[in-house]
Amino acid sequence: MASIARKNLLEDIPRFLVAQIGILFAVSLVTIQTGMQAGFTRSTSKLIDESPADIWVSSPSMEHLGLTLPIPYDRLSQVRRVAGVDRAEAATIRLTVWRRVRVNQVTSITLIGGEPNGLLLPSSKITQGSFSDLRQPYAIVADSASLKTIQIQQLGDTEAIGSLPAKLVGLAKGTQSIVFDNIIFTSLESANAYATSSLTATPIASPPAPKALTPTDPVSFVLVQAQPGEDLASLKQRLESTVPGIRAYTRAEMSSRTQTYWQERSGIGFILGMGAVVGIIVGVVIVGQILYASVSDHIKEFGTLKAMGASDWFIYSVIVEQALWMAILGYVPGMGMCLGVAAWTAATQGITILITPVSAIVVLGTTVLMCVSSAFFAIQKVTRVDPAIVFKA
Amino acid sequence: MPNSANIDEFNQPKFSQAESSQSRLAAVVPQPDMAIVAEGVEVSLSAGQQQLQILKQINWSIRAGDIQLLMGPSGSGKTTLLSVLAGLLTPTVGTVYLLGQNITKMSRSQQARFRRDHIGFIFQDFNLFPALSAIENVETTLNLKGIHRRQSRQQAQALLDQVGLADKGHQLPRQLSGGEKQRVAIARALAGQPQLILADEPTAALDSQSGHAVMELLRQLAKDAGRTVLIVTHDPRIVDVADRIAHLDDGVLQED
Repeated sequence: MASIARKNLLEDIPRFLVAQIGILFAVSLVTIQTGMQAGFTRSTSKLIDESPADIWVSSPSMEHLGLTLPIPYDRLSQVRRVAGVDRAEAATIRLTVWRRVRVNQVTSITLIGGEPNGLLLPSSKITQGSFSDLRQPYAIVADSASLKTIQIQQLGDTEAIGSLPAKLVGLAKGTQSIVFDNIIFTSLESANAYATSSLTATPIASPPAPKALTPTDPVSFVLVQAQPGEDLASLKQRLESTVPGIRAYTRAEMSSRTQTYWQERSGIGFILGMGAVVGIIVGVVIVGQILYASVSDHIKEFGTLKAMGASDWFIYSVIVEQALWMAILGYVPGMGMCLGVAAWTAATQGITILITPVSAIVVLGTTVLMCVSSAFFAIQKVTRVDPAIVFKA
Repeated sequence: MPNSANIDEFNQPKFSQAESSQSRLAAVVPQPDMAIVAEGVEVSLSAGQQQLQILKQINWSIRAGDIQLLMGPSGSGKTTLLSVLAGLLTPTVGTVYLLGQNITKMSRSQQARFRRDHIGFIFQDFNLFPALSAIENVETTLNLKGIHRRQSRQQAQALLDQVGLADKGHQLPRQLSGGEKQRVAIARALAGQPQLILADEPTAALDSQSGHAVMELLRQLAKDAGRTVLIVTHDPRIVDVADRIAHLDDGVLQED
């Protein structure tokens, strides 16, 4: 049968376009809000998920990647002695201040100190320069997305962290997290030196090279790579029972703990979720209004179909088909637009709007459900139509 | 008019073994010669405290194969009677038999199936689906009857050929003249070979020449296939197409 639903829908092109823009808006709102929520969640644990470390050792007070009490550096050597540990490295993560001395401006940064090309600073993230260059004293690597904020132009430029110089030797991409201020990578030794330098003193032009860490110097984590075939749960238990004053987490546990903290404590998940709900409500209202108006305009045609002997289910199927066409024709451009926006924000703002095949399918299902449920009032109207209206001029 | 014994017989249809359960509703009890029978039909409406009687004790039979005109002034109850006879309106009192079946006793879905299988409609305003082409309008009736697209397309084209619109099948209703629209409506009403054609003021929206031509066409196509046609009209120019004429005045029926 010729699709009465599709043809009725396309009969009035301007109204159809208005409806589709409404659905596009609703789809975009839902996709962007849920994408931001998913992107935010993933972003909080990005450094953990992308690190090859199997186990993270930290203070028992650790809340998430960026909030922990320090542990002494000699935990590293203790961890290395535990059976089943293939490789272990110390890392520090702390908030500090980026100083642009010449213009007397400061910006907060998240300073990550670790082993160059090690478990926390993988070379795959480097786009210019090398993490190996972090072995130079007071050398740093910044994420490209931070350059605008820390106001540094090119490799070789120097500003200051605390009272010590910070020379840009490399650029990374895709390391920025939405919950951390501008991420700056450096060596463990430089990070330790920055941590103990004065935030207010005039920066020293040529300071002595940073010292190697002593057993009592503070670090945030010890990252562990297990020997091949090692059972991580067993290794984790051995670490906790052998090394004093620590907790050990597998990568999945560490990632989950960090994500949960931000979801539950920040309230951002609720806010973004509310945005998605508003998107759905807007979509339901727009589609419902359009379908109701369409049915009202074609009420005599529905009456004619009833008079001709069409069953109620046939009539409903016409309306539901209209709703499905609206869903699909609103979803496709809406999702296309969202993918474009997601690519743009990732490239220019360092903000991840995560749209996965699964989330795209879920949004499609939501859109279909939204449009079909919007048909409820239209179906109510057509159910009540008296087929005898066909005889009224 | 059938006597009560006959009526009981109508309500106990006998089916041949070849008839499927789906066609039971369509099955017709042997009915000598009456296609439409109205027995004691009354329709009353409440208007505040008052009770308005639209139709008063209509007892009427229309012979199978006849072209029957129902005439009367505006407000006489013609369209109400047509709605009752089509199973679109339940009478306050009385019974309607179509092709030997008591349509008043049927459920709404049974009535809908009966209309789909046995009745073709022609409307004053044509009631074509504006978004569908002429041929798609005709196909809609066939598709509702479960005829598949390829077959329905052939049948619809043949019907358009019969009504003289062979080359206008792909035009939308708004691209057709009033006379052409009513021809499409006739083709749609004839689709699926219904035994009954019910037409409501079919010439009201047409000029005199087009109206007469359309009625001649309907008469010819209906007579050729032995269909029963009931035309509600107040147009005196088409009385010559009718076999019989009845008049309705203030809800009271008078046959010529």
